[in-house]
Amino acid sequence: MTTGKDLITAGIDVGTSGVKVTVFRVSPDDHGTMLAKVAERIRRRDPKLVVEHCYELALEAAELTPEQVDYVASTGEGAMVGFRRGHFYGMTTHARGAAWLVPGAEGALDIGALHARAVRMDGRAKVLGYRMTSQCASGSGQFIENIARYLGVTIEEVGALSLEADEPEKPSGICAVLAETDVINMVSRGVSRPNILKGIHLSMADRLVRLLRSANVMGTVVLTGGLAADAGLRAALVDMVAADKRVACELVTHADAIYAGAIGAALWAAVRHRRLLARGTSPAATAAAASA
Amino acid sequence: MSKLSYVGIDLGSTTTKSVVIDDDLNILGRGITNSRSNYDLACQIARTEALVDAQMSRLRSTLADHRVLADHVKILAPSVERSFRYRQHIRLFDALDRECMAIAEGKPDLTAVLADLLAEMREETEKLFSGLSAMEKRKSEFFRDIAGAQFQRLAEHRANPKTMPYETIVGVFDRAIIKVENEGDDLTFEGNALEALDRSLSQYKANDAVRAAAAEMLEGLLADPPHIGCSVGTGYGRARLPFPKNQIRSEILCHGLGAHQMFPGTRTVLDIGGQDTKGIQVDDQGIVTSFQMNDRCAAGCGRYLGYIADEMNLGVHELGPLALKATRHVRISSTCTVFAGAELRERLSLGEKREDILGGLHRAIILRAMSILARSGGVDEEFTFTGGVAHNPAAVRALRDLIGENYGKRTINISPDSIYMGALGAAIFAKRETDAGRAERGVGSQSEARA
Repeated sequence: MTTGKDLITAGIDVGTSGVKVTVFRVSPDDHGTMLAKVAERIRRRDPKLVVEHCYELALEAAELTPEQVDYVASTGEGAMVGFRRGHFYGMTTHARGAAWLVPGAEGALDIGALHARAVRMDGRAKVLGYRMTSQCASGSGQFIENIARYLGVTIEEVGALSLEADEPEKPSGICAVLAETDVINMVSRGVSRPNILKGIHLSMADRLVRLLRSANVMGTVVLTGGLAADAGLRAALVDMVAADKRVACELVTHADAIYAGAIGAALWAAVRHRRLLARGTSPAATAAAASA
Repeated sequence: MSKLSYVGIDLGSTTTKSVVIDDDLNILGRGITNSRSNYDLACQIARTEALVDAQMSRLRSTLADHRVLADHVKILAPSVERSFRYRQHIRLFDALDRECMAIAEGKPDLTAVLADLLAEMREETEKLFSGLSAMEKRKSEFFRDIAGAQFQRLAEHRANPKTMPYETIVGVFDRAIIKVENEGDDLTFEGNALEALDRSLSQYKANDAVRAAAAEMLEGLLADPPHIGCSVGTGYGRARLPFPKNQIRSEILCHGLGAHQMFPGTRTVLDIGGQDTKGIQVDDQGIVTSFQMNDRCAAGCGRYLGYIADEMNLGVHELGPLALKATRHVRISSTCTVFAGAELRERLSLGEKREDILGGLHRAIILRAMSILARSGGVDEEFTFTGGVAHNPAAVRALRDLIGENYGKRTINISPDSIYMGALGAAIFAKRETDAGRAERGVGSQSEARA
C-alpha cells in the first residue's frame, strides 16, 4: 500500500479579507512539517485569482509542481478554490492548526476579519463545542482596520500604539459603522490615538471574553486568525480574562497563528487522503492500480 | 449684494452641507464637503463652498447680461468654473504631494516610487479638469475620494509584494490625507477667482477687449461680497461647533423646517443620512410633532450604500441607476453594513449579477426606513423624502412601492436639494435669529475665512 509514504498536502484558507496557503509534508505517523506558507490580502480583487496566485507562490517556495501535491483542501470560503479536492469546516481546521502550533492546546479563539469563534477541543484537536459571533461586525477585525485607516495608522502599528494608552476611551455603541463616527468625534475632542485604539481593543476583548465563556473554553487557548498578531488586543484580552473569574484559561499565540486554518486544512487533507487510499477510491490509487 | 444673507450648516457624519439664503428665503448657493475630525474646518469649507456657489451664479448672470461678454457666456462660464475647481484641487494636491514626500523622507525606495506616482497623478489631474465633460467623469466631487482612487490605482501598478507592498504605498496616502484635510488651504472665491479667470482666458485665447471686460466684471463682483447676517449649525456634530448656543439647532427641527419650506404641504419627512434614518412628523408650520430614528446600528443608512459602492468600486451615485436594471431581487441576509459588503463580494464571485444584488439591497434599506416611519406615526399626506439617499432612483422606486402598498396613495416630494434640507432649515433659523436681533454678527460668518 502507498499509505506508508510521506504525503504532500496543501491547505487553503479563504477568509473575508485574506487568503492563506500552506504546503505540508505529512509522514505516515501523521507528523506534519510545514514546507511553505503564503498570505495575501484580497483587497477588492477577485478572490479566485488571489487564491491561484497564492497557491503558485506557495508551490514555488516549496519547490514543488502541482502534480506533486497529493491533496488540496480548502477551508473558509471553499467555493473560491476551484481546484480543491476537499473542504473542511473552519472549526475543525482552526482546532487542528491551533493544536499543531501549540501542542496540548485545549481551545482556539479565532479572530478574523468579520467573525470570531471560540472552539473547545480535546488533546487530539477533536472539536467538543464552539460559539461564533454573528449578525454584526462589532468586535471584528474589519472594524479595527477601518479605524486604523481613519487614524492613518498601519495595521502593524496598532498593537504597539494601543499598549501606550494611559486613559483608554471605549466607543459608546457597538456598531462598527457608527463607531467610526464615534472615533471621528474622539479625534476632534483630542483623545490620543493610543487611547482610542486601546478603547476599541477593550470593547472587542469584552465581546471575545463573553464568547469564550459561552463556549466554556478552558485550559490553554490559542489565539488564531489575523488579529492574533495584534499585541494591543492580546494585552486587553489577557487582562480581561484575568479579571473575569468565570473564565479559566491561559491565552497563548504563535507567530504563524494567522495560518492556523490553512495548517489545519493541510493536516486534515493528509488524514482524508490516506483514508481514501486505504479504501482504494482515490484517483491517484486508481491510476496507480491501472499502471501496475 | 447690499442685502443680508444667511448661512445654515449641517455637520453630518459623512458630509457637511451648507446653504446660503437671501431675505426672501431663496437659496443663493449650496456647498458640500466630506466631514472630518476637524469639525470647525469641515464647516468652514462647506460654507466657503456655498459662498463660492453663490458667487459663481452671480458671475454667470453678470456674464449673461454683460454687453461685451454675453456672446461668450456659453463657453466662458463653465470654463471659469472648471478653472476654479482646478485651482482648488491643485492647491490640495500640492499639499498632498508635500506631505507624502515628507512621510517618505529617509526611505529612498519609497521616495522614488512616490515621486513617480505623484508625477503621474499630477498629469492625470490636468486632464481631469480639461474638456467639457470633465466634471462628469469624476466619481465624486471630494478631493479625498478623487485623489484616493487615483492613488490606489497607481499604487497597484507599482506595488510588489516582496519589495514594495501595496499597503506600504497606500499607507502613506492615508497618513498624508489626514494632515491635508485637517489643515486646510485657501479655497475661497476671493482667493482663487482671479487666477481661475486668467487660466480660462488664456485657454480661450480671448482678445484684449474680452480680457479687459472680464477682469473689470470680476473686480466688481469681488468688491461686493455677500454680507452674512448670521450662521446656524445643525447635524450630528453640532454640539462641537464654535457657535453660540442660540445659533445651534437640532437636526430634527432643521429637517422638518427645511422640508416645510420646500414643500409647505409636508406632514411626514423621511431623512436617510449617512448614519441615521429619521422619520419626522411636522405640523402646518413645519414644527416637529414626533419623530423616530435608528440607533445602535447603521444598517439601512447611507453609509450602507457607501460601503457597497466601495466594495463594487463604483461611485455612490452609480448604484441607483444600476439597481434599476435588476430583473430579480437577490435577498441579502446580512443586516450588518459591514457584513453585507462581504456577502456582496461572495455573491458576485459566485456569479450573481450586480444589478440583481443591488436591487435587493435597496429594498432592504427602504424596508428598514418603513419600520422607522411606522413607529414615528406613519406616512401622512404630503410626504417628503430628504437626505443624500433621496437622490438614488432605486431607493425612491422601492419607497414609492412600499408606501403605496402600506398607506395607499400619497404625494411624494423629492427636491433636487434634498441633501441640503437640514442646512436650509438651519439657514431659516439663522434669518429668524437675525430678525429677532439675537444674532451675533460675524460669528462664523466671515466669507474670507481661510478654509
